Amino acid sequence: MSEHQTKEWKKNKFVLISIGAMLVMILITMGGLIFFKIKIQNSMKEDMHISKESYDKYYVMITPDSDSSFWQSVFEGAKEEAKKNHAYVEILGDNLSVSYSEAEQLRIAIDAKVDGIIVEANESAQMLELINEAVQEGIPVVTALGDNTASVRQSYVGISSYNLGREYGKQVNTLADAYFKGDTADMADKKNEPLQVLVLINANADDSSQNILFSAIQETVESKSDHAGQINLEARAIDTEGAFTAEESIRNIFMTEEDLPDIILCLDELNTTCVYQEIVDYNKVGQITIVGYYDSETILKAIEHNVIYSTISVDTKQMGEYCAEALNEYLQTGYVSEYYAVDTNVITAGNVRNYLGGDADAEK
Amino acid sequence: MQKSRFLNRIHTVTLQTKLIFSFIATTIIILIVNLFMYQNINQLVNQLDAIYLSNVQLNELGEALNDVQDSMTLYLNTKTSDAMESYYRAEQDYSMLIQNLNEKVTDDNLQMMERMIRNMSDNYLEITNQTVEAKRGRNIEKYKTRYEKATELYEYIGTYVYSLNNEQFRENSSSYKMLSLSLQYLEFISIFILVSVAACNIVLITILTKSITNPLSILSKAANQVASGNLEAELVEVYSMDEIGIVSSAFNKMLVSIREYIERIKESMEKERTMKERELMMGTHLKDAQLKYLQAQINPHFLFNTLNAGAQLAMMEGADRTYEYVQNVAQFFRYNVKKNNETVSLRDEIELVDNYIYILNVRFSGDIHFEKHIDESLTNIQVPSMLLQPIVENSINYGIRDIEWQGLIQLSVYEQEETVCISIKDNGIGMTQNKIDKVMSSELRESDVSAESNGVGLSNVISRLRLFFDSKDVFDIISEGENKGTEVIIYLPNTAMGRKYEDV
Repeated sequence: MSEHQTKEWKKNKFVLISIGAMLVMILITMGGLIFFKIKIQNSMKEDMHISKESYDKYYVMITPDSDSSFWQSVFEGAKEEAKKNHAYVEILGDNLSVSYSEAEQLRIAIDAKVDGIIVEANESAQMLELINEAVQEGIPVVTALGDNTASVRQSYVGISSYNLGREYGKQVNTLADAYFKGDTADMADKKNEPLQVLVLINANADDSSQNILFSAIQETVESKSDHAGQINLEARAIDTEGAFTAEESIRNIFMTEEDLPDIILCLDELNTTCVYQEIVDYNKVGQITIVGYYDSETILKAIEHNVIYSTISVDTKQMGEYCAEALNEYLQTGYVSEYYAVDTNVITAGNVRNYLGGDADAEK
Repeated sequence: MQKSRFLNRIHTVTLQTKLIFSFIATTIIILIVNLFMYQNINQLVNQLDAIYLSNVQLNELGEALNDVQDSMTLYLNTKTSDAMESYYRAEQDYSMLIQNLNEKVTDDNLQMMERMIRNMSDNYLEITNQTVEAKRGRNIEKYKTRYEKATELYEYIGTYVYSLNNEQFRENSSSYKMLSLSLQYLEFISIFILVSVAACNIVLITILTKSITNPLSILSKAANQVASGNLEAELVEVYSMDEIGIVSSAFNKMLVSIREYIERIKESMEKERTMKERELMMGTHLKDAQLKYLQAQINPHFLFNTLNAGAQLAMMEGADRTYEYVQNVAQFFRYNVKKNNETVSLRDEIELVDNYIYILNVRFSGDIHFEKHIDESLTNIQVPSMLLQPIVENSINYGIRDIEWQGLIQLSVYEQEETVCISIKDNGIGMTQNKIDKVMSSELRESDVSAESNGVGLSNVISRLRLFFDSKDVFDIISEGENKGTEVIIYLPNTAMGRKYEDV
C-alpha cells in the first residue's frame, strides 16, 4: 500500500465503515424480510391446494368397495378421460363421516343433481328403481363391472363374463396338462386321482354373470381339455356382503375340508388375496395352485414368488376411461353405445415383471 | 473517479447532517422492521380468524337447517300460523345461507361438498315447501310422503354439513400449524434483524462519535502545544469539511499566520538592527575621515623634523626659551598623532596637558594659570588617549578666554570611594544648566564647536569615555552659574587600571 493510498484510506476510513455498516443493516433487513416472505409463501403453497381448476360437469362414481386398488385405478382412468370433456369425477361419499349404502349414495347423487353417475350396479330391484329415477331426472347413468340389465342405464362398461370364463378355463386346462404329465413334482403322486378345481363365487351377486362365467369355465374345460373326465369343477359361494365375511368363509374351507382342492379359481381381488394368505398360513404352498383375479401389488408379488400361478387382470384404467367416455359422449350427442368391453390379461410368472413396479399401461 | 468524487462530497457534509442522517436512517430501518412485523402478525392473525370463520359459518348453516326441519315438523304437527311463520322465516334464512355456498365444479373436495349441500338443499327446500303446501291443502298422503322424503334429504344434508365441517377443521388444523410456524419464523427473523441492526447501529454510533471526538482531541492536543509556546507544533490533518474540519483548518491557518507574523517581526527587527549598525558605522567612519583629514593636513614627520630643526637652531643660538617652546610644540603634535587611538596612562595625558598649557602660555604671554594637584599613585591608570587635552582646551576656549580677571585652570587627580576622580576646574564664565544638559546628552553638534578646536570635541570625549567604561556616570559638569567657573569631573572606576582601550 503506497503512502498516498494509506492516507486516502485513513481519510475515508470512517466514511467507508459507516457506509458499510449502513449497507449491512439494509441488506440484513431486506434479506430477512425477503427470506421470511419466501418461507411463508412456500408453506402457504404446501398448504393451499394447487390451483383450483374449474370444470363444467360433475360426475360421481358409486361403488361399495371404493378403497380397493381396483376401483381406485378405475377412478383414475375415469378422472383423466372426464377431464377431456371438462368434467370432474369424484367417488361419492369418500370423505363422509357416515358410510352410506350404494342405494343411499345413488339417492344422494340424484338429489344433488350431479351431471353423471358411474355405478357398480347389481340386478337388485332397488338398484333398478334408482337408476331409472336418475335417468328420469336427466342424469345419465353408466354401470361398470356389474350391470343392471333391466334398467334404462345409458351404457354398461365391463368384462364379458363369457370371455372371462374362457380365460379361467384355459388356465385350468394348462394346469391340468401339467398335472397329468407329471411335470410338477408335487403332483406326481396324485396322478391317478381326478383334478379338484374349486371356483369361489360371490354369493351376493344375484345377476347372471356369475352363472355365465361358471358355465364358460365348464364349457372350456370340457370341450378343450384332453383330460376332461378327470377334472372336477366345484363352485363355492363366498359371502362378501358383511364385513370380513369373505375372509371367514375362505378360512372355513381350509379348516373344515380334509380333501383340499388342487386348484382354486378366485373371481375377485379380495378372494384372491385371502386365499393367498390362507395358503401361506396353512403351509400349502405348492400343493394348491391359485388362479387369481386382478393385478394388485400383493397378488403380483405372490406370482413372482410362485405362490399364485396366474391372475387374470382387467384393464381397470381402460374401464374408467370407457365409463367417462360413455358419459361424455352421451352428454354431447345424446347417444352412446350400450356396451363397452374391457380387455383382460393373463399374468403369470413369465410376464409378471412387466406389471411389477410399473404401470399396466407400460406393458401394452 | 466517481467514487472519490462521491467520497469528497461526503467529506463536505456537515456534522449536523451526518448525525441527523445516521440517526434517521437507523430509526427508519428499525421502524420498517417493526411495521413489517406488525403487518405480518396482523395478517397471520386475520388468517387465523378466517380459518375458524368457515367452521362458524358451517355451524350456522347446520343450525338453520335444523330450524327449517324443526319448524316444518312443528307445523305439520300443529298447523299453527306461528309455526308456519317460523317455518317461512327459517326457510328464508336457510336459503340465504346456502346462497353463499360454492356452486361451481372444481377439483377441490371441500368445494364439491359445498356444491352437493347446495344442490341438495335446493331440492330439500322445494320438497319442504311442497310438504307445507300439501299440509295446508290437507292432502294427507302427499304431505306424509313428502315429509319422509324431506327427512331423508335432511339427514343426508346434515351428514354432509357435519362431514364438511370435519374436513374443514382438519384442513384448518394444518393451516393453523403453518400459521404458528410462520409466527415462529417471524419472531426469529425479527429478533435476528433487530439484533443485527442494533449491532450495526452501535458500530455506526461508535464510528460517528470517534469521527467527531478524534479530530477534536487531536486539535486540542495541538492547541495545548501551541498554548505552551511550541509554535512549531505540527499542523492538524483535516479529513473532512464538517464543522470540526472547519475549526481544524482555521486553527491551522491561525498557526501558519502566527508563524508568518513572528517571522516578519524578526525580519523587521533584523533590518532595524542593521540599519542602526550602519548608522553607527557611518558616524565612526566620518570621525575617521575627519581625523585622517586632520592628520593629512600636516605631514607629522615633516612637522617634527621641521620643529626639531627649529629647536636645534634655537639651542645653537642660545635661545633657550625658544628651544623649549619648539620642543613642547613638537611633543604635543607627536602625541596627538601617535597616540590618537591607543590607551595611554593618565601620566601621559597630564604631560600632554602640560605641553598644551605651556604652548598656550607662550601664545597668550602667560595669561593662563595652571595648577596641578596630582596623586602620583593614581597616574598609572589607563585611559583613552586625547582625554584631558580637549577638556582643558574647552575650559580655555569657552571658560576663561574673554574674562576680565586672571584665568585659572586647576587639574586634580584624587581617589574618592574606590573611584579615581579627575577634576578640571576653571574660574571662567561658567555654564547654564540648560547648556550643561545639552552637552551631557551630546546634543551640541560637532559643527558648533569644531571650528576653533583641534578636532576632538567634548561630546566625542564623553561618548568615548562611556563606551570605554561601559557606564553612563563617568562624566559630570558642574557650574554654579554665570561667572562662577565650571568644573568637569571624570570618574574612573579603579578597576580600569591596566585596561586596554582596544578591548572596547
